[in-house]
Amino acid sequence: MPQLDPAVFMPQIFWLFVIFGVLYFFITYSAAPKISDVLKKRQDKIAYDLGEAEALQAKAEAARLAYEKSQEEARHNAAVVVLNKREELKAYADAEYQKLSDGLNAKADEAQSRIDAAKEKALGDVRTVATEVCCDIVSHIAGLKLDKKDVSKAIAKKTETIGKGKS
Amino acid sequence: MAGPLDQFIITNTVPLQVAGYDISFTNSAGAMLATLVVIMIFMIGGMRKKALVPGRWQSGVEMCYEFIAKMVGDTAGVDGRKYFPFIFTLFMFILAANLIGMVPWLHPFTFTSHIAVTFAMAFFVFIGVTLIGFATHGFKFLGFFVPHGAPWYLMLILVPIEIISYLSRPISLSVRLFANMVAGHTMLQVFGGFVVSLGALGGVLAAGSVLPFAFIVALTGLELLVACLQAYVFAILTCLYLNDALHMH
Repeated sequence: MPQLDPAVFMPQIFWLFVIFGVLYFFITYSAAPKISDVLKKRQDKIAYDLGEAEALQAKAEAARLAYEKSQEEARHNAAVVVLNKREELKAYADAEYQKLSDGLNAKADEAQSRIDAAKEKALGDVRTVATEVCCDIVSHIAGLKLDKKDVSKAIAKKTETIGKGKS
Repeated sequence: MAGPLDQFIITNTVPLQVAGYDISFTNSAGAMLATLVVIMIFMIGGMRKKALVPGRWQSGVEMCYEFIAKMVGDTAGVDGRKYFPFIFTLFMFILAANLIGMVPWLHPFTFTSHIAVTFAMAFFVFIGVTLIGFATHGFKFLGFFVPHGAPWYLMLILVPIEIISYLSRPISLSVRLFANMVAGHTMLQVFGGFVVSLGALGGVLAAGSVLPFAFIVALTGLELLVACLQAYVFAILTCLYLNDALHMH
């Protein structure tokens, strides 16, 4: 085997140490720092991007919560407004109703009193007519001259009893 | 025709002598230089853009880096990070050497098929790891050779065994890589020789040379696997030894 010839040992070992040494210094001081630098930068970039994404997600979540809260508030406010308005309107309607019904009652009372007055007057007129008719009939038939006052009194008495009997 | 082992012959391209020592620039040194240049091109070229989103080339460089970084972290722990550049260099050097040795036609020299080279690396690792062990634990590091909880009469047997197994680490580490490379390249050469011999016979037998050729194709695939695997094994065993030195058992 040519490998076992001692003459080949020395030159190979010498050049091995020289060239391996050069490669070692090249890798230690140039290649490896460059590679680890790139790897670290990439790692940092990924970590930074992930952090950013997380922050943005948190922000979005906060915005969503705020939106939901404001929506809830708005819904609540709307319910309160509707309730208040309904009560207000109910009170207004009640008041209006009261006013209207008072007015109508007053009108009805007035009308009633007018009716009563008219009825009274009409009854009075009927009595006068009845008294005159009565006087005329008596003077015509019996030739008697009756005192109008007595007749009117008698009629009033009679109508009262009739009214009483009827009622 | 060249014999199957002739591919491992060292040829002096530039004879050189310093203070009586032969440090000739040989074909082996040439292969080492080629390995150095290939790794430098691979790394400088891959990292020239330093892109945030890497291309294929940069991904390749980063994958090598992360693969070894993960291996060092897993096997040698956090304390082992310091020695990452060395392990990374070792892995890339052996991997590139093995793979360059597999390039067909160019017929490059595979210096990892030389025991002098693999043993020099393994011995360097062994010495380094032992020094780290003593530097970390002082003389307590000798306790590494004493198994816990064994009775004293077993110690008489176990301690020498532990010491022998520790001392044989550079041998097993270097011979594993060396033998794998030699065996693979010799097999390729032998079957390549079959292709040529059968082809030279002519006629029907020449057609039969397809069989060893197909075998070479399959073997080349296997050898590529072995090339990567042996670089990995060398690196991970170095990590394990380092872990022993840093943390003992």
